[in-house]
Parts: sequence; structure tokens; C-alpha cells
Amino acid sequence: MKGLAPLFLGIFGTFAFSWVGLTFIPNWQIGHLNPQMEEDGSDVYPQPQSGMVERGARVYAANGCIYCHSQQVRADYAGADIERKWGDRRSAPRDYIFERPVFLGKMRMGQDLANIGARAPAEQENAPPAGGASPATSPAPQGGAAAPSAAPSGANPSPPANASSPAAGAPRPKATASPPPAGSPATSPAAPPASPAPSASASPGPNPPPALPTPPAAANASPAASASPAAGAPWPVQTSGQPPMYSAAWQHVHLYSPRSINVDSNMPSYRFLYQTRRITDAPSADALKLTGSEAPPEGWEIVPTYDAKCLVAYLMSLNQSHPLKEVRSAAPAAASPAASPVQSPAPAK
Amino acid sequence: MNASAIPLKEPSVSAAAGDAEQVERALIDASTRVPVLMFYTSAMAWLIIGTLLAGFVSFKLHTPDLFSDISFLTWGRVRPAHMNVMVYGWASLAGMGTAIWLMARLCRTVLRYPLLLVAGAGFWNLGVLLGVGGILIGDSTGYQWLEFPHYAAIMLFVAYTLVVSWAVLMFRFRRGEQIYITQWYLLGAFLWFPWLYAAGQLMLFVVPVQGVLQSAVGWWYANNLLFLWFGAIGLGTAYYMIPKVIGRPVYSYHLATIGFWTYALFSSWTGMQRLVDGPFPAWMITASIAATILTMIPVATVGLNHHMTMQGYFPLLRYSPTLRFTVFGAISYTVFSVVGLLISLRSVARYVNFTQANIAYFHLGLYAFYTMVIFGSMYYIVPRLVGREWRYASLIKLHFWASVYGIGLMTLMLLAGGFLQGANMENPSLVFSESTETVLPYLRGRSLSGLLLTVSHFIFAYHFGLMLLGLGRTSTVPTFLNPVEAEGSEAHV
Repeated sequence: MKGLAPLFLGIFGTFAFSWVGLTFIPNWQIGHLNPQMEEDGSDVYPQPQSGMVERGARVYAANGCIYCHSQQVRADYAGADIERKWGDRRSAPRDYIFERPVFLGKMRMGQDLANIGARAPAEQENAPPAGGASPATSPAPQGGAAAPSAAPSGANPSPPANASSPAAGAPRPKATASPPPAGSPATSPAAPPASPAPSASASPGPNPPPALPTPPAAANASPAASASPAAGAPWPVQTSGQPPMYSAAWQHVHLYSPRSINVDSNMPSYRFLYQTRRITDAPSADALKLTGSEAPPEGWEIVPTYDAKCLVAYLMSLNQSHPLKEVRSAAPAAASPAASPVQSPAPAK
Repeated sequence: MNASAIPLKEPSVSAAAGDAEQVERALIDASTRVPVLMFYTSAMAWLIIGTLLAGFVSFKLHTPDLFSDISFLTWGRVRPAHMNVMVYGWASLAGMGTAIWLMARLCRTVLRYPLLLVAGAGFWNLGVLLGVGGILIGDSTGYQWLEFPHYAAIMLFVAYTLVVSWAVLMFRFRRGEQIYITQWYLLGAFLWFPWLYAAGQLMLFVVPVQGVLQSAVGWWYANNLLFLWFGAIGLGTAYYMIPKVIGRPVYSYHLATIGFWTYALFSSWTGMQRLVDGPFPAWMITASIAATILTMIPVATVGLNHHMTMQGYFPLLRYSPTLRFTVFGAISYTVFSVVGLLISLRSVARYVNFTQANIAYFHLGLYAFYTMVIFGSMYYIVPRLVGREWRYASLIKLHFWASVYGIGLMTLMLLAGGFLQGANMENPSLVFSESTETVLPYLRGRSLSGLLLTVSHFIFAYHFGLMLLGLGRTSTVPTFLNPVEAEGSEAHV
């Protein structure tokens, strides 16, 4: 080859072609999405995060959670994600418009986390302090765990009734420690009692609608929480003696000691995010409820650091259960519980 | 064929015409000594660090309770640290070392402005050091392949600007009109990298794109770094080393042209298939899958070209360390591309999308192909810089076989484990943890392969250290892997 000019032009041209094709045009196509809302401006989804949730995302990035956990639900024809109850619908670009960085992930050495916050038991607040197996049965008496097809929310339309009491009636010691799924109380002193009511989610605060107890969310939570048919269930099951699955308290125990919850877990423990300290006056409300060999010695307690609290606040905020107009939901949208049968009996394989 | 017919060193030079040319080459080689050795030495240091980190990562993956009290040793920090050390520390520095030497040789001019390169190497090392430190203390940006915090990224960019301005200057001073194939690839690599890096940094940190596009930009960057930076250096080096060592021109210049332009055009469009079934417009993924299929054109032409060049000279693999490493790397390029194609097809990607098979793919590209080619080039170049020959043929052989078995075992383990992991993951009647448990034995096997690679790298580092200290052999004959028959060795003394 002779002459530098054609070589240089070719090198530049191929690069520019790739740049335009794979980043510029997609950016033009889906790079400027707006949140979806009703005509009257209510029911905005998604909403920007702030405060503890935002910081939690940084903790998530710093500790490389993305190298084992994805945050995307594939469509039902493309993978078993929905059957695994990682979400009721596939993820769409609009779900991520406020995420930075975006943690789509490329590896699943651990579960998908796109909806981990939605899986929290809806009435976590009313549960008695963790420690007994009892909370397991509380969320929704929905025995269908063994048969995934029984779960669709048409059968169980209204657990949301209870959702109006995030912090209000919380005698629960841990309520202060770990933000309830409703978002981060620390950053929104004004809002707490109101937040999770579905219609109130337009409140501008940092409260995203994660706790919108739409039926899908409840349906998601329930099989996990039902203790009995655990044996053959293809999804994680409640461990007795632990806080209700996917509650904030549970997340803390899981981060601190994953194998106390699931012996087969491969997740590293994140003890450095927790602090073992001597109990001074009264036990801290934040203290982890650990049992067995993990429990701290008498007179000591294990409490989450601020980073750990933020991380859990972030996890609890992960929720893509809000329906999107451009995505066909497997489960019905909150408004129309009747039109469900898309997913229900899906033992296709 | 008879070994006496095998020209093993500087073969193209006839005695009479050769003298002046030999002297000129020696002068050029001498002028590259300080900068290239600086790149190589620091690259070796990063290779050893990266290897130790890799061992830790691999081991901790199946022993998760190791050191869980220490924040900077948590798996999610050490893993990106390992990856960035290997990518920006070892692979980039060693590749730049080789590329610089090749540029000087092919431009047929002594290396000018060595200070640019020395400063570049210094800043680059500082950047990697800061970046890895940043990741370990928890400053990672969270974007895969771009985890370095901004202070490290700026440093890398400054360093790179120095190196690339050197490359452009060298090109201006080149002698001869003809631009050899290797130079196309090297010029491409030298220019593509800063554009890529700048585009990635700009679109993720300066003027961040919205939502999922960050992921698209991230994979576009990572993929093109693999192909347009490492791949281009690796292929360019192979195009130089294979004909050089066997003393025969490249089989077809025309094929090489086709190979280069199709490579530049198609491989730069791959990458989005890593996002298959994600929240993206389907055309992006389909375009990348199509491009991946089209990359079979450069794979075939490059492979054919190398094969035909080697035709009849394969017995030389018995003797020349450079040739052995380079040819292994060139073959791995084909394997890497074919595996890449297979795991890109939607029907397969569905199963391997979120599994260890991806790790196998990147190791095939970055190690089996690229690193082996770079090892080969170092076996060729270092003796010419330090004026000594490699001391022990046995160590070179050990290095080669430990690397080959190590990377082979690793690839097999991760691919097989990945497929099983994916199959279990896609079967919703199984508990999720079934899929991760399935892959555990394979991960232990991978740790074993890592041990082999660790041995290989320590051997190479030791051998390289001997060369640096001037403890190589004083000889005019390069170190052959196996003794060449008596009459054979005279031919090229």
C-alpha cells in the first residue's frame, strides 16, 4: 500500500462508521426518553433516585456487585427470567433512564436484581421483629408456590390494602435501621407515611415508586415468603429463623453472612460493611439478628455501617414492576387485574 | 525438510548486501533499547501482579469466605483490579513496546524523540497504579473495562498522547515509500485507541448518555479495545514475525489487504451481541451478530495467508521460540473468532449469555491469541535490545507448554462450565443456585489452570530478569528450543 492518506482515511472511516452506527444512532433513537406518566401527570415512572439510594448505587459499583449480578429481565421468549420470577415483564430502556451508572450486568453467578426491591414482603412493617419463622406466612396466604401458574395476581388482587403504613405503626426495631421498601426515610423526613400509597407516588421526594404494592409486586413476594412447599420450589425459600425474605433486615443478614441464609450460596460475605461493637446502653435498633455461630458474643452487637444501609436502600429501590406502555406485561397492570391470562399457565417447557 | 536448508536468523540478508543493512538494523535496535525495555519491564511487573490477583480471584470464587473482613480484598474489587492490570498494565504496555520496536524497524529509521516514550511509559504506569489503587479502595466507576477512576483515566490519556505523537512523528521520518502490512495494523491501533478511549470517556463521564446506552457504549468500547487495539497489534506483530523468522515474504499481499480492511470494517461493528435480549432495540444486536459472522472473512484471509506463508516451514516450529509462540497465537486468533461467532448466535447466546463462557471468550482473545503473540515478539526483540541471547532453552519450552496447557485448560473449563451453568439457569424448574453449583467444579479446574499460567509467567519473568541483568548467553546464534543438527547451525551463524 502506498501513501499515508488512503490508509489514514480508511482507519478513520471505519472507526467513524462504527461509532455512528453503534453509539450515535442508538443515542438518537433511545437516548432521550422521558418518564412515563398518566395524562394528568400522575403515576410518574421511573423517578430519579437520590440520597441514600444514590450513594448505595456507588457502594454497589465500588464493590463490584455487577460482576455477579445482572439487572435486566429478558423477555419470556428469550430466557427463563420471568419464569424464575425475576420480574413480570421484560426490562425496557425506559426503566433505566435515571440510572448512572447503569448496572445491566453480564454475569449471573448470583440472581438477577432488577426487581429485588419488588420482592420485599409488602407488609414488612407489620411483621413482628424477626427471629421466628412466623413472618414467613404473613404476607399473603397464597399457597401456590409449588405451582408457579397459580401465582398471577388475578387470584389475589389486593394485598396493597396494608401498604399505607411504612413507618407509622412500626414497633419493629429494625425499621429505623433499614429503609423500608418505600424508599429512604433518611432523606425525606416529610414524606414517610404517605409514600407507598400508589397514587401518592407523584410526590416529588426521593421516593421512587418501588413500594407501589401493585399486584405484580405482591405476587412476586408471596411465593418466596411461603414457607411450606419450599422443598422443590425453583426459587429461593425462606430460611426459618431469618427475617422475612428480601426485607431490609434480611438483606443485611444476607450481606453479612450469605451462607446463614442459603448454604449453597456462592456470594462473598461483606463483613467489612458491618461493625461489631459493644452494646453500650440498649441494643441498637439496627443490630443484625444473627443466630448460631454467626451471632456476636454476649454484650456485643453487629450493626451496619452507613454504606451498608445505603446499599440496602439501593437494593430495596430496585423495582421494575411498574407497567410500561411499550412492554407487554406478563402480569396485569395494576389498574386492570382482569386482563391477565398472558402468563398464567406457562409450563411450556 | 532438511534442517540445513532452514535459515533461522536474518535470513533475507545476503552476505554482501547485508552488511550495511545489518549495521543499520543494529543501530535502530540500539536506539530503541531504553524506551522499549522500559515498556517491557513494567509490563512484566504488571503481568506478575495481575497473575497473583487472578489467582486470588479464581480461588475466591469457589472459596467465598476468604478475607471477608478486608474491604480491598473483596472479590468485586480484586476482579476488576486483575482485569485492568492485565488490560492496561500488561497487555497495553507490552503491546506498545513491541509496536514501538516494530515501528522503528519498519520505518527504517533510528528512534527519535525517545523522551516522549520514556515520559509516556512513566505516565502510563502511574496511571495504572493510581487506577488499580483506586479500584481497590472503592473508587471504581462501575463501568466494565473502564473502571479506572477519572484521575487515572486522565493520566492514561496524557501518557497515550505522548506515545501516539511519537508514532506520528516516526511515520513522518520513515524511509521508503512502501508501507508494510504490519504498519497498517500498528498505525490503526495507534490511532484507534485514543479515539476509542476518548469516545468512551466522553460518552460515559463527560457528557453521559442516558440509561442503557451507557452499557452499549461500554461494550462498544470494550469490544473495540479488544479488536482495534489488542487485535490490531497482535495481528500486525504476527504479520511481521512469521515471515521474518522463516525468511520468506508474506504469501499474498492482496489477501492481506482484504484481511486488513474487512477486519477494520467488521470487527469494529461487533460487540453489541453481548447485550443480546437486553433492553435495546433489536437491530443493534442483530447488526453485531451479522458483523460477527462477517468477521469470518478477515479470519479466513489472515489465517490462509499465514498458513500459506508457513507452508513447508512448519518444522521450524521445533526450533524457533518466536515462531512457536506466534503461530500458536495466530491459530488461537482463528479459534477465538470461531468461538466468538458461536456464542454470538442467538440460539446459543440464550444459554451462555450470563455465564462463565464469556470469560473464556475474553481469555481466548487476550491470552491465547494476543499475549502469546506478544510473548513471541518479546523472544525475538529482547535479545536484540540487550545484546544477549536467551539463556535456557528449557525455560522457554516450559514457559510455552505451561502457557498452552494453562490457557487450554482454562478455556475448556470455562466454556464447558459456562454451557452447563447456562443450561441449568434456563431451566426454571431448577433452583437458581443449581446453576452456580454446577459450575463450581469447573471453576476449581480453572484455578488449576491458573496455577499453570502462574508457573509460566514466573518462569518468563525470571528469564527476562536474567536478560535484563546481562546474564544471557553471549552468542551470535539465537537460542533454539531444540538443538539444530551440526551442519544446520552453520548455515546461519
